[in-house]
Amino acid sequence: MAGSIRESERAESAAGLARAVTSPIRPRRWRVLRRASRARLAPFGAAVMVLAVLVALAAPVVAPYDPLAQDLGNTLSRPGLAHLLGTDNVGRDVLSRVIWGTRISLLAGLVSVALAMLAGSLLGLLAGYCGGRTDGLVMRVMDAVLSFPPLVLALALGAVLGAGLAGVLLALGVVYTPTFARLMRGQVLSIAARDYVDAARALGAPGWRIAARHVVPNAINPIIVQASLSVAFAILAEASLSFLGLGIQPPQASWGSMINAGRGYLQQAPWIVFGPGAALFVTVVGLNFVGDAVRDALDPRTRE
Amino acid sequence: MGRLVLRRLSATVPVLLLVTAGVFLLLHLTPGDPIDVMMAESVDATVKETLRRELGLDRPIYVQYAAWMGRLLRGDLGRSIRNGEPVIENVSRRLRPSLELAFFAMAISLLVAFPVGIVSAIRRNTAIDRAGATFALFGICMPNFLLALLLIFFFGVTLRWLPISGYTDPFEEPWNGVRSLALPAITLGLALAAVITRTLRSSLLEALGEDYVRTARAKGLSEWRVIWGHVLKNALIPVVTVLGLQLGTLIGGAVITEYVFALPGVGRLVVDAVFARDYPLVQGVVLLIAVGFIVSNLLVDVLYGWIDPRIRAR
Repeated sequence: MAGSIRESERAESAAGLARAVTSPIRPRRWRVLRRASRARLAPFGAAVMVLAVLVALAAPVVAPYDPLAQDLGNTLSRPGLAHLLGTDNVGRDVLSRVIWGTRISLLAGLVSVALAMLAGSLLGLLAGYCGGRTDGLVMRVMDAVLSFPPLVLALALGAVLGAGLAGVLLALGVVYTPTFARLMRGQVLSIAARDYVDAARALGAPGWRIAARHVVPNAINPIIVQASLSVAFAILAEASLSFLGLGIQPPQASWGSMINAGRGYLQQAPWIVFGPGAALFVTVVGLNFVGDAVRDALDPRTRE
Repeated sequence: MGRLVLRRLSATVPVLLLVTAGVFLLLHLTPGDPIDVMMAESVDATVKETLRRELGLDRPIYVQYAAWMGRLLRGDLGRSIRNGEPVIENVSRRLRPSLELAFFAMAISLLVAFPVGIVSAIRRNTAIDRAGATFALFGICMPNFLLALLLIFFFGVTLRWLPISGYTDPFEEPWNGVRSLALPAITLGLALAAVITRTLRSSLLEALGEDYVRTARAKGLSEWRVIWGHVLKNALIPVVTVLGLQLGTLIGGAVITEYVFALPGVGRLVVDAVFARDYPLVQGVVLLIAVGFIVSNLLVDVLYGWIDPRIRAR
């Protein structure tokens, strides 16, 4: 669902992937068909991703104007040759601001998911490996985090951590952590019962070594799938928070805050909203295709 | 059934405790002095001291927590520092628009998702199916604030069919009330419809591959009877799961939707409280939303057991 922070349907599918390792094989016809229909879209997704990364890295070079430079004699001007996506209410070039905003969006998506992946995997490993009280405590805390609607939690955390990119990154990291923790714990529990772990233990390998050499490498696939599916939604979440006024503060450009600033000019100058809006939509669609492709590639159910 | 409810309830207690602790600690996560964050520097020092004493911030943290929990158990969620009214009153005044929005959004999403999902599954891999899939992808990837602005642009600004902001109570003025909720409900409902469509389609396809479907067809039942009488009921369980999982997203979506359309609901209250740095109000509303969310999830679990007797037995 759009504007969603934690894409639960996808969380489900990654959890399903974790389960599939032990579940009997189901009819494959539909999945193979679905996969085939998606395969055509993966290159588009990859192209969008590569383009977004290049634009983000080369922002100072490719942006035609200074994203902060105001030109009060040239406000709300239509898209044209001078300004491909028009100018905003203080005469800033919309295209240049969209280009610089790419940096913020990608950074937010990648960093918050990386934080959550790291924290969640460690907590899940701890819970699954130690069991008992540790397990109970860690997982109840994760349940408590999941008891808040994601956006509301991010808003509240962002509010107390202070507006700004760092606060939002941290808030989103916290919001995504439980998904990874649950996934990792489930994986650890199923892997720790395997014969090769028993064998390693019988050979006298210490606990940390078993965890690092045997458990984690075998548990990592669903985590990677979940991470790749989460990035698109983290980008959406950052845009939502910036739209509400948290996150990057003006005059710096982020897609969400640009869209919020432009909504008062929908009648005279809809391009202020449409430029960053299109960038956001295309990026999320592209990353979705990439996420689906990563899942199909790593999912044992669809491997032939 | 009673046992299922009881088991779910008892599992909720420790989580509720942790949630209250989390909401309590929220205020203490503020970098620096929360009083300085809540009030402008120019405010008189004695006023600040009064607020500090009122919020109990001058006492040790465990005393504060015990006092806070004690008040909570008596139903006292504290007062807003902006308007001085109890949190409960602030919320109850805002509840109606939010519930109406949720109801209309849910209705729209089900009305769209069921026909599209069923037709996509029956006519799989045809143009209709692909159109349905494109719609679902669009709904899932479209940020709802952007969808809201697109709807405002087309139906409000360009065509001038519907009001673009504000709220009229449908119980007082039915026609204007429904019109004022139309665009917000479509914004919120379309995204949900997309997720339900996807889930319904794939669970229908899975159910259509089962043996009992072949039996039903072999009996000579019409395709319509097969779907309506046999497949749909079995395909419904994943849909309920997804509805439950989407609840949180729905609440978050309502926050943004209410913000864009200036609906005076609970979501708008959260945003306003955050930006007014009215932390007691933020704490109270966030806690109430979380409790509401937990209770709704509980209801979904029970609904689950009602639909599928196998879950009850476990």
